Amino acid sequence: MSNVAGKAYGMNVLTPLRWWTALWQKLIFWVVVKTFPYFLKGLLTLSLIHYARWTIINRWSFPRLDKSQPKEKLSYSYMLFESNFNGSWDQYIDSFSFAIPSGLDMFWRWNIKYPKSIPLHDFYNYIRFNQIESGHYYNAYPLAAANDVKTAQKLFTNLGTFQQNIANLNDEEFLQAYQQFLADNQHSLGSMGESPLMSASHELVQEHQHANIMMARAAGKQEA
Amino acid sequence: MNRPLDLYDIQGNICKGYGRFGFPKARYFFLEFHDYAGGRNFLQQLIPLITTAEPWTGRKQPDQSDKPAATTNIAFTYHGLCALGLPRRSLDGFPQEFKMGMKPRAAILGDNGPSSPQHWDPVWQGDTVHAWVSINGQTQETVEQRFADIEALMQSVQGSVSIRPGHKGPDGKMLPYQDASAVFENGKATPKEHFGFVDGIGNPYFEGCGNDPERLPGRGKLNRDGKWEPLATGEFILGHIDEAKEYPLAPEPHLLARNGTFMVYRKLHENVKTFNDYVDNMAKDFDGSRELLMAKFSGRWPDNGAPLVLAPDDKAKAELDQKMAELQKKAAEGDACAIGQLKALEEQWINFTYNDDKHGAKCPIGAHIRRTNTRGSLETEKGAFDRPGALVDRRRLMRRGLPYGGHDELTNDDSEQGIIFMCISASIERQFEFVQQQWVNYSNDFHLGNDRDVLIGANNGKLTDKHIVQVNPKEGKAPFFCTHMPRMVETRGGDYFFIPSITALDMIAQGIIDPT
Ligand code: HEM
Repeated sequence: MSNVAGKAYGMNVLTPLRWWTALWQKLIFWVVVKTFPYFLKGLLTLSLIHYARWTIINRWSFPRLDKSQPKEKLSYSYMLFESNFNGSWDQYIDSFSFAIPSGLDMFWRWNIKYPKSIPLHDFYNYIRFNQIESGHYYNAYPLAAANDVKTAQKLFTNLGTFQQNIANLNDEEFLQAYQQFLADNQHSLGSMGESPLMSASHELVQEHQHANIMMARAAGKQEA
Repeated sequence: MNRPLDLYDIQGNICKGYGRFGFPKARYFFLEFHDYAGGRNFLQQLIPLITTAEPWTGRKQPDQSDKPAATTNIAFTYHGLCALGLPRRSLDGFPQEFKMGMKPRAAILGDNGPSSPQHWDPVWQGDTVHAWVSINGQTQETVEQRFADIEALMQSVQGSVSIRPGHKGPDGKMLPYQDASAVFENGKATPKEHFGFVDGIGNPYFEGCGNDPERLPGRGKLNRDGKWEPLATGEFILGHIDEAKEYPLAPEPHLLARNGTFMVYRKLHENVKTFNDYVDNMAKDFDGSRELLMAKFSGRWPDNGAPLVLAPDDKAKAELDQKMAELQKKAAEGDACAIGQLKALEEQWINFTYNDDKHGAKCPIGAHIRRTNTRGSLETEKGAFDRPGALVDRRRLMRRGLPYGGHDELTNDDSEQGIIFMCISASIERQFEFVQQQWVNYSNDFHLGNDRDVLIGANNGKLTDKHIVQVNPKEGKAPFFCTHMPRMVETRGGDYFFIPSITALDMIAQGIIDPT
């Protein structure tokens, strides 16, 4: 089990809602997204976030694996919050709570026992209590944060355009164009590297995983 | 709102940078307690020597000053508090990073390669240090006198307390203490460190700290209207409300924590030759002076600490210097108008933001001071957050260090010189460790990938160990790339400490901490 893969952390939080406020909340979400207010600007500016998604699941619409699975009778509807972000749990929750506390409150306000995002530790406890750990979490680009991917894409496109435009330039012109290209892309040139360690606990897990691999290899050799 | 704090209960180093108050000399040493009773007895005798944060009235008129000839402060590691017999429940309430101490946090702090704990000074090897004692003095003699006084106290408790030796000093000699001192030029203390930068300018201003309110602009927290407000006390002192409107995580009972705080101690060796060679080498291709290049590393001009946002290039710096010189001359002649203008200009050394420098064309986004105190600059879209400084207000550090070792003429990499870096905050993890890990040794928040700080990053001389000196894209010039950055600064030791209030110290000494 781990919520961590490379530079990414996966978070799932399932919080109960009264079924009638769930309906009401759907409307609010819709209005918020349509009018694109300040809250979404805050979310987008928090560049550690890959994405964040809030889904309301009505108490009668929980998915079943198969028709033979009996329907559950639930007292509450639920809000599923999913997010992938770069950095540790604390860093993420901290940034959320510092930067957009009123926005968070708007999304969770009607959830049962939601304490508000400030004071911070009540909010910590609420999220921890309702968080569902990931059984499996896969990351195709463990060395890349969302920002790295975005800047690499920008650089890739711009480099393509640059390449098309330089064919007929003389040396002088090329130098000029190249310098301008570097200046225009100076915010897309960070080095790529490993994730900073998310926590001392995660360091232990990494050590254990490494030891497991070594043991498995040694066992494999013995068998052979 | 300015709630008074009980400055007589708070240790002096929390609220005062002693260097600024005319104490350029310091000695730090570390204790080990061998039995509860003797250790507590020693503390009891030490308490009258402890310097509190009480205001010194005569600071502006030195001859009438009520400040002492030497100061003394004390702080404990987790193992130290165990050795003094604190109850389990109180010990359990301390934050995890403090309980672990600095060595096991090496991977978080970037203490790898030459900075790894196995290379640290002997004092940090093996068993853990129990307590840190600091003496600051107006002269070396006053420091040594106070040290002798404390040694005498230790003798009186017959082997219950000892000094842990093993600080690498000049010529590789092992000393029982770590001396530190401002760098002196022509017999006068300067605010310089050994790479040649003026240091010790930026430090936070918090509610109730007892400092002159004139120091607030540029040091507090930034409001939407561009004004500055004191940071909440609880960002720096336990038992008071913090920026998240709650009490910082602290041990029980309240009296143990209240008016105390945490301190990080790090001996940071400066590879002066490596630094100078690197600057010389890079300066050859750089469009500007050597000083400008150094400023592009730190964010401030080395000679007088003027921020790059105030003087972004050589021409602007020359003009600023000239203006300063003229105003200083007129001010010295008593010109009231010049005195006012000079003061206003000097305020710009600290009261600035990066709002007009989004691209980093003036102060590179990866420059040391822009990394370690981002001011409003992480709010890249105006109005996106509740406050412009939302992402920095809870990451502020109160720096309390001094340089050690070295004369400017003698320094190479092997000689002993650097900075005794100490910083005070209510949460080591949220403040110091975050800044060190995420902003010094990583750059996702700055959209600069894995680039690191030039001065103190855990760089290894590789091509990708780089710092980008950004430009204004409209000027047609290329940004300047400082690649292959070597390890300029190496960690030589350190630990995490708890600085108790005078009340708590007294209770520890009496053995009456009771969370029941
Ligand atoms: C040998 C090691 C270091 C050197 C040579 C160094 C150098 C400097 C210099 C020249 C300044 C500008 C002067 C000033 O604003 O006071 C500065 C500021 C600062 N440094 Fe360092 N520093 C070192 C270590 C550290 C460490 C380890 C941290 C924290 C992780 C740190 C955090 C800061 C902060 C917070 C500021 C003030 C920024 C502001 O408020 O604008 N420094 N340092």
